[in-house]
Amino acid sequence: MQTTLKPSEPTNLISARLLGFWRVFKKNRGGLIGFVMLVSIVFVAIFAPAIAPYDETSASTTTISDIYQPPSAAHWFGTDDAGQDVFSNFVYGARVSLTVGFFAAFISIFIGGLFGLVAGFFGGRWETFLMRFTDIMLVIPDLPLMVVIVALTRPSLLNIIFVIGLLGWTTTARVVRSQTLAVKSRKFVLRARAIGAGKGHIVSRHILPLVMPILVVQAVLVISLAILNESALSFIGLGDPTTLSWGQMLNYAFGRGAMSTGAWWALVAPGFGIVWVVLSLTLLGQGLEQVLNPRLDTHHLMPNKPTVHVDAQPPKTKSLLEVQNLSIDYVTEGKLPAHAVENVSFTLREGELLGLVGESGCGKTTLMLSLLRLLPAAGQIVNGHVFFKGQDLTALSEEELNKIRWSGVSIVFQGAMNALNPVRTVGDQIAEAILRHMPDFPKDQIPARVTELLDLVGIAADHKDHFPHQYSGGMRQRAMIAMALACNPQVIIADEPTTALDVMIQAQILELLDGLRRKLGLAIIFVTHDLGVVAEMCDTVLVMYGGVTAEYAEVDVIYNDPRHPYTQELLKAFPDLTKPKKKLSSIPGYPPRLDALPPGCRFAPRCPLAFERCQTESPRLHVIGADGHVASCHLIEASK
Amino acid sequence: MNRTRAILSKAAWSVFTILFVIILNFFLFRVLPGDPARAGIRDPRLKKEAIEVLQVRFGLDKPVINCFESLNPIKFGSCNVNPLETQFFIYVGNLLQGELGISYHTNRPVGEILSERLWNTVLLIGAGQVLAILIGVALGIFAAWKARTSVDYGAIALSLFAWSLPTFWLGIILLFWGSANGFPLAGKATPGMSSMPPLQQWGDILWHMFLPTLTYTIVYMGEYTLIMRSSLMDVLSEDYILTAKAKGLSMFQILKDHALKNAMLPLVTVIAINLGFTVAGAIQIEAVFSWPGLGSAIYEAVVRRDYPVLQGAFLLIAVAVIAANLLADLTYTYLDPRVQVE
Amino acid sequence: MSTEHLLEVQGLKKYFEAGRPALFSRDTRHVYAVDGVDFNLQRSEVIALVGESGCGKSTLALLLMGLEDPTGGKVTFEGRDITHLNDHQRKDLRRKIQMVFQDPYESLNPTQTIEEIVTEPLTVHGIAPHKAERDERVKKALEDAGLKPADVYLGRYPHELSGGQRQRVVIAAALVLEPEIILADEPVSMLDVSIRAEVINLLAELRITRQIAVIFITHDLGSVGFFADRVAVMYLGRIVEIGTMLEVLESPQHPYTKALISVIPVPNPRLRHERIILQGETPNPINVPSGCRFHPRCPVAMDACKASDPPMITLSKTHQAACLLLVK
Repeated sequence: MQTTLKPSEPTNLISARLLGFWRVFKKNRGGLIGFVMLVSIVFVAIFAPAIAPYDETSASTTTISDIYQPPSAAHWFGTDDAGQDVFSNFVYGARVSLTVGFFAAFISIFIGGLFGLVAGFFGGRWETFLMRFTDIMLVIPDLPLMVVIVALTRPSLLNIIFVIGLLGWTTTARVVRSQTLAVKSRKFVLRARAIGAGKGHIVSRHILPLVMPILVVQAVLVISLAILNESALSFIGLGDPTTLSWGQMLNYAFGRGAMSTGAWWALVAPGFGIVWVVLSLTLLGQGLEQVLNPRLDTHHLMPNKPTVHVDAQPPKTKSLLEVQNLSIDYVTEGKLPAHAVENVSFTLREGELLGLVGESGCGKTTLMLSLLRLLPAAGQIVNGHVFFKGQDLTALSEEELNKIRWSGVSIVFQGAMNALNPVRTVGDQIAEAILRHMPDFPKDQIPARVTELLDLVGIAADHKDHFPHQYSGGMRQRAMIAMALACNPQVIIADEPTTALDVMIQAQILELLDGLRRKLGLAIIFVTHDLGVVAEMCDTVLVMYGGVTAEYAEVDVIYNDPRHPYTQELLKAFPDLTKPKKKLSSIPGYPPRLDALPPGCRFAPRCPLAFERCQTESPRLHVIGADGHVASCHLIEASK
Repeated sequence: MNRTRAILSKAAWSVFTILFVIILNFFLFRVLPGDPARAGIRDPRLKKEAIEVLQVRFGLDKPVINCFESLNPIKFGSCNVNPLETQFFIYVGNLLQGELGISYHTNRPVGEILSERLWNTVLLIGAGQVLAILIGVALGIFAAWKARTSVDYGAIALSLFAWSLPTFWLGIILLFWGSANGFPLAGKATPGMSSMPPLQQWGDILWHMFLPTLTYTIVYMGEYTLIMRSSLMDVLSEDYILTAKAKGLSMFQILKDHALKNAMLPLVTVIAINLGFTVAGAIQIEAVFSWPGLGSAIYEAVVRRDYPVLQGAFLLIAVAVIAANLLADLTYTYLDPRVQVE
Repeated sequence: MSTEHLLEVQGLKKYFEAGRPALFSRDTRHVYAVDGVDFNLQRSEVIALVGESGCGKSTLALLLMGLEDPTGGKVTFEGRDITHLNDHQRKDLRRKIQMVFQDPYESLNPTQTIEEIVTEPLTVHGIAPHKAERDERVKKALEDAGLKPADVYLGRYPHELSGGQRQRVVIAAALVLEPEIILADEPVSMLDVSIRAEVINLLAELRITRQIAVIFITHDLGSVGFFADRVAVMYLGRIVEIGTMLEVLESPQHPYTKALISVIPVPNPRLRHERIILQGETPNPINVPSGCRFHPRCPVAMDACKASDPPMITLSKTHQAACLLLVK
């Protein structure tokens, strides 16, 4: 049924995964720099004898004049307090520092990984014991404890590795435990249990593959910490006296007169080595983290691309809200712009309830956010106008628009848990809107007004000072509606306000909105993917598909005389209890991705009635009948 | 109340951790081979009487711990002795009276030496932490606000670099620079200052503090910047920020009223966890600048093999960190209304 | 009659401990998640369990799968008591009862390919040890689940598929074990309306082609009318009404069922109808109301409802409901 997918080639899975990882990683500039820096210093360490101009132990032929020689052709980094070549010591020092770092980190990662995995996966007493122990070890300061133990034992390289390794596992244990817990609670682990898989299978096949990436990132950071700790121990005088690590070099130079003789070279070179390694690991760790756990790295306060203004036209109607040919692109660097919304027009009268219907990803939320210019940073209005009471919102400055936001048009978002600030009380958040938009409102009246608003949506006054997490899902959505009403707006945009709520709560919210509309004369735009909800209470319906208007008409026409094949198919897919036992049909395939739109009609690949023209030419909006019924389909033109 | 319960459990847990540290501290110095008091006693040249005198002096003639046969089938420790006369109980008893032993090097009570130095360390760490947090947070906020601009990338690069600096090495470099520019090289005050008026004395201390605090600030600032940036980025991409924007609030109002408190919460946790690391920084900085604090006490104790001082300093530092950690935890409980139990 | 049932559930209970009400209180509180559920299931029958969140339907699913241990009651499969089994017996039973989860985005391991996902059940049970035979079964399961041709999908990762396709993969991974019962926990509620029918039709087909019985758990009565043989409505851990699909949808007897049916959206503006909208929300199952547990929200509650817990009243051979109004 899917023609877009090609048969997959049989490949070696592990190498394919590594290759895929590398393809993403190499685009991460910081991570790549870190990787190259690390490889270079490991190279230096491995081939130290070939690189270092002087032998490791050669005290040359030390005479007083050899001590603290400034950099020269013979000694690139000068000589140290023993007259040795600093560059050679630097090269050999890389070996010591990296050895300590890698081996100590190996111990830490092993212990931390094991503790975290056992505690997270098995839970119960094991978890309590291991995590309490981890908490204790985490609070006890590392370096002082290392100093005590190394001072009481012999400061040999082996001791140092063990002490750093045995004390450095605490953060790893915590990180691995929380990741294990997170993976364990995911549904695919439950599904594996339902299949009959045992604990060993679940750990090795489902938990470990998802904990491993975190462990790798953690390992990189632990290595860098181990190297820093080793250098600090050596500097304090607890380094292995038989080897010369970078920390040890600094200890000798600092303790034996490099400061007073001004021999900066003996101090700079080893420190530079430590910074080089730690910085490379830090960059690498950050890069890995970003690749394995990608974040969008955008937020709601980032400036938008400027709105493109086209020939300013006056509004055509005297509607409360008139949207003219609105088009929105998502612009990402290095990619073609994605046309999320194209040429959408509609109007909203006072007291009208407009249903905006479409599958997820059809651009309906984008369209709604653009009305108040709340698009994410990548979103750009590239065409069209939004007139609110005759004023073009696309042309206003941010300050002018801020006055209209909420007091003229307010929004009820989907998922009210996230749309309310978790650390402020609900009443406080409602009052904030009043303070912002009604400066003349008497301050002492605000609490009464908040109570009144909550009462309007059916929330008892004593919940006013509660935090959102103390509300149930339905109550949060009601609180959101109360907040939207706070400044007496004329238009409320309700963006899927009932998705994810139970049917009965959904019915309660719908009834509330419908009642408010009648009582307060509000105009509402109700966004949903559920045609049934819309039929119950809307006046007009706009059906969107792939960012364009499929059909726009009065509610009765949409249900009883739909002209666009998409509307027709959607209705067939909807269960209708008045006609039980009717077989449901579904629309094959899925909506187009906005960055890979088909060349012709956007619905053509899934349309049962598509013909040749639909593949190449996108249909324009045809007017059908007198009362504003429009649909975009080539068949309508043919039937005329 | 759940909050009271959370606070009580955290406080109880801190007490338990302190007990653990006391026991650990005792056994580390008894079990590990390095203590010269015992190493010296094993010296074959010493006469029997001399050994006994030394043993009595260091309390080593007493059994380490007692064992109750009924409780302890492996018979760890010496059995059937008066528990009050074991080394462990004497140690705990002395601790309760504030006695931490006598320094090998100066023959002064360790408690006395350390109490002089504790406040110097608190002064240094306090000033350094406050500056690092203030600058780090400010830079983090700025970077998040200007996300994905050159300002942001610059702040990230700077922070990563600062984080990668070994503390003592940065201290050395600054000291090198400072010595050429007239900054004091060591210590907390210029000799002879004690006769001057207090204002001048304080000015002198601040002058001496400048370089150590600068080192401290640079090293710890980077991490706070990165955490604040990522935390604020997370908060600013939450839906409730979009709600605030839709409500018509200005950029400044959104930051102040909806973003900062939420974004500071993870930072408080990190500050709590980091307290152990901050002490590590203090040891290195005090060693470089000869700042008379607990860190340099540890440094000198290591160099002079002065174990009573080392033992006391470790204990004091650990207890201070545990207490500070508890404080940070309680702050979090106070700041976040969502904290229920654990 | 009882031996003929494929699956029989009697008085099934699950109470979770909910911690102590106060720091030094001695008694622990309980969440009465499932509080006495009886029903049975015939071979190749589809039964829909309907209820709002908090009614215990998901806990019931976990109990039936043996993923939670019941506090009381009994479950019989093909005449054998399967309430408490050891690990080995449980594993054998899993071949017979398989589960499809709510969220197809979460119920597939993102690091596994489709082939690995569908092969895994066979490896776990040591079925079809030879690769050729195994591959054939995997392909057949994928094609039976509507992913044709199977070769196209084998090497792909879940994130490359749409929600509907992912749910088909989950169903294929269940089918590959050739189960007798599929327990589907809200299998379509995360999907867009336009592709829900895809998954529902697939399940309806399987019961005919493979004689698989389906337990379909959902909060949306509207979506079950088309293929369920029987419907059971749950409220606060109990079944309050059970009957054939037509009996429940066309002549509901319990006031809760009536309300649930009245709020199902009808996609026709000409048929706008009166809706019974219950006030408030399902109470927390820690504090189960006295008497009839539905009385605080019931639009037709009487005084007697506060005191006495109504028994199941038999209305026809197949239709039962628990309401005092039905006692004659």
